[in-house]
Amino acid sequence: MSEEPLMSVRDLEKHYPITEGLFRRQVGVTRAVDGISFEVERGETLGLVGESGCGKSTAASSIVRLEEPTGGEVIFNGNGRGGATRNADGTHPNDVTRFDDRELEAFRRGVQMVFQDPSSSFDPRMTIGDAIAEPLRVQGMDDRDRRRAIVEDLLDRVGLSASDADRYPHEFSGGQKQRIALARALVLNPDLVIADEPVSALDVSIKAEILGLLDELQSAFDLSLLLISHDMSVIREVCDRVAVMYLGEIVEIGPVSRVFSDPKHPYTEALLSSIPTPDPRASPGGIELEGTVPSPSDPPSGCRFHTRCHRVIQPAELDIDQSAWRGLLNLRATAESGAVDVAGIRERLAADSETDVTDAAVKARIRADFDIPSEVASETAERTLSRGLDQIVNGEFEAAADTFSEAFTTPCEETAPERIEHGSGHESACLLHEPDRTSDDGEGAGGRRVSADE
Amino acid sequence: MGTQRSDRFDEVEWDEISQSRWFEPSKNTLGVVFCTLPLALLGIYDWQVLGERTATFAFLGTEWNLEGIDYLFGFTLVLFAFYVVAPLYQNPRMTRYYWRQFKRNRPAVVSLGWLGVVFVGGLFGPLVVSAPEQSVLTGHQPPVFLSIDAANVATCVGDVVGGRCQGTLQHPLGTTQGGKDVFASIVYGMTISMQIAFITTTIVAAIGVSVGTVSAYAGGWVDETLMRFVDVVLSFPTLLMFLLILYIYGAGLGMFILVFSLFAWGGTARYVRSKSLSVSEAEYVKAGRLTGATTAQVVRRHVVPNTASSIITQLTLLVPGFLLAEAQLAFLGLGDSAVPSWGQLISAGRSDLSFAPWIVLAPGVVLFLTILAFNFLGDALLDALNPEAEAENE
Repeated sequence: MSEEPLMSVRDLEKHYPITEGLFRRQVGVTRAVDGISFEVERGETLGLVGESGCGKSTAASSIVRLEEPTGGEVIFNGNGRGGATRNADGTHPNDVTRFDDRELEAFRRGVQMVFQDPSSSFDPRMTIGDAIAEPLRVQGMDDRDRRRAIVEDLLDRVGLSASDADRYPHEFSGGQKQRIALARALVLNPDLVIADEPVSALDVSIKAEILGLLDELQSAFDLSLLLISHDMSVIREVCDRVAVMYLGEIVEIGPVSRVFSDPKHPYTEALLSSIPTPDPRASPGGIELEGTVPSPSDPPSGCRFHTRCHRVIQPAELDIDQSAWRGLLNLRATAESGAVDVAGIRERLAADSETDVTDAAVKARIRADFDIPSEVASETAERTLSRGLDQIVNGEFEAAADTFSEAFTTPCEETAPERIEHGSGHESACLLHEPDRTSDDGEGAGGRRVSADE
Repeated sequence: MGTQRSDRFDEVEWDEISQSRWFEPSKNTLGVVFCTLPLALLGIYDWQVLGERTATFAFLGTEWNLEGIDYLFGFTLVLFAFYVVAPLYQNPRMTRYYWRQFKRNRPAVVSLGWLGVVFVGGLFGPLVVSAPEQSVLTGHQPPVFLSIDAANVATCVGDVVGGRCQGTLQHPLGTTQGGKDVFASIVYGMTISMQIAFITTTIVAAIGVSVGTVSAYAGGWVDETLMRFVDVVLSFPTLLMFLLILYIYGAGLGMFILVFSLFAWGGTARYVRSKSLSVSEAEYVKAGRLTGATTAQVVRRHVVPNTASSIITQLTLLVPGFLLAEAQLAFLGLGDSAVPSWGQLISAGRSDLSFAPWIVLAPGVVLFLTILAFNFLGDALLDALNPEAEAENE
């Protein structure tokens, strides 16, 4: 067999138009999935992890064409379609996004999904036997007895009894339903199963059972698995490789052992620090990501994570405490959106003290709110900051925003990072690791740019 | 073929499985077709071959005649048998579950019993009970165990005791002014009520479900157009329209059913649309699409069944409205007086209310009970047919 991956996703995009008014004029676009690329090898488990709203599920439904992707390609080499080469015009014969109806129907036998919510993944008016047999029926197996026999065999394999086929979904628990969902996903003997948060709705003990079953079935039937989850501990347990998504992009991808022991992207670091440890004396030590996930309809420029990154890069001439720098950038963002609530701060201060509220007190309060020390360790930065704070206190928000945005800029907002390889398939997209940038800990030195068309 | 049949899912040779995908009707659909065909043939025979005045079953030597509305009623009965009763029989497990939920509601069980009586009475009563006939001499007979001043009766069928005419079993609910037997009239009225209930429900459900699902699935301007049309239908003055037709062309029961049901599906369509939209978001619909089924197949197998069971409630609550409307129009003298409906009977007795109240009361009570029963039934069905809501409550 050739070494081609089972599935290879290239620059997949799913953009939703934002329309307005009577004539549905398009006024913008939500970039739910914005150019992700990864590969799934035969028999491997790839994890796709990220916060909710980062586009994981949209990516999954675009891959299987439950929703039509707006760009990129998904090359599926399963179903005996392997070994194909590109056509003369650069399109690929195995590109799922170009499949016609007939090919798409056959593709359904190659890729199936398990969904998140066990309570809604079965038709309440269909016995689970019928639900599992439905793919067989749709794909043209007319023999009722044979369908029944296959269903009973499968139910047995996922740990239920054959007689359960006549029961209805409401008669099963969440964990049992997820087993049935697995049976339904397996019934066409696919090469790849995409599991969209398969255990996030389950209790911890059931969770382990289902993950175990998934593992068992995977090795028994040589399945590839794309596991979507927001839970790093689930990923660690079952995946071979993991791709970390943030705001529609993959920021880091690599073997689980390497990503977990040596995360390269600050976002991965933050996610990993959120895994609870069983040691009660261990300090939580989590990296707290500030702010909320920006809207995918207006993603930040440059590196999309720079608005929340705890390791956001300082300009060349600056060298201050990292948390102070983060605070300055946050202050700048707040000033730009005009959301500095000076009046509110005055009121609160007035409530606390008898005397009049001085401008100095307000400024100190703002610094404290944004974790900026009373004296920033750089003369120029301190000067700009005090000027900007003066303007804020005087109510000149626009001027303040200008002051800040001139002085406090980070390379992260200007340059979109490219993927850097760190060896053994471990790649990340962060400016810290660009070869021509010497970062604090020198980690980037070994990095190598991954060319886009590789 | 069939020699190496394997019952393991991972040993299915999909390339060998026929991909021919022509329409395969279910057993129930075949049943509908086989029962509808003779009905349709009979209808065509009645319409084209037989004369206006010849009874349909004259060749059997009976006077039993069928009219357009009877054929329609027969067709809806066939649909009811194969799409409501048969599935209940075919899925005993679900039926038992529904029944367990349903019987928690005692009044609804009684209501179901009463509606069963009306249904059976309406269907077979006319075969057993002879049609009420005009007989002026025996008008105003009192119901059994009651009596009336002999001065009000031309001929007393029972005994006259102390100047009062006693009721007899021959006319258990008495007779009207024209001497029509009230009991027989009520039985014949059951047929009318059942016809109204079944035909309107079928028309409303068919149009409502089609428009609702198409609207939900097509989206865009189709959705917009259909929903604005629904607004028009909902705001249409149906009664005035009916009166207009009545005065210009004259209107029988068939016209009543047609006009009222053609303007009653608006709410159903809206309900189906919103329900379809929420069902189409469910993961089982996604799973259905992932099997390779076309949108039409998914809609037929998942979306329609799951919306239909919830509109049953709505339809059940719609029927009493029609029955009442018919009775009201008949009482006002706007109906077809040849139709032996309960409303006509009530209307016939209103002038004799002072001394012969049974003529109004008997059909009035039956009408009241029937409408009450439909309302109770609708409530209970709402609870019983909603297993998801039940599962969430537990």
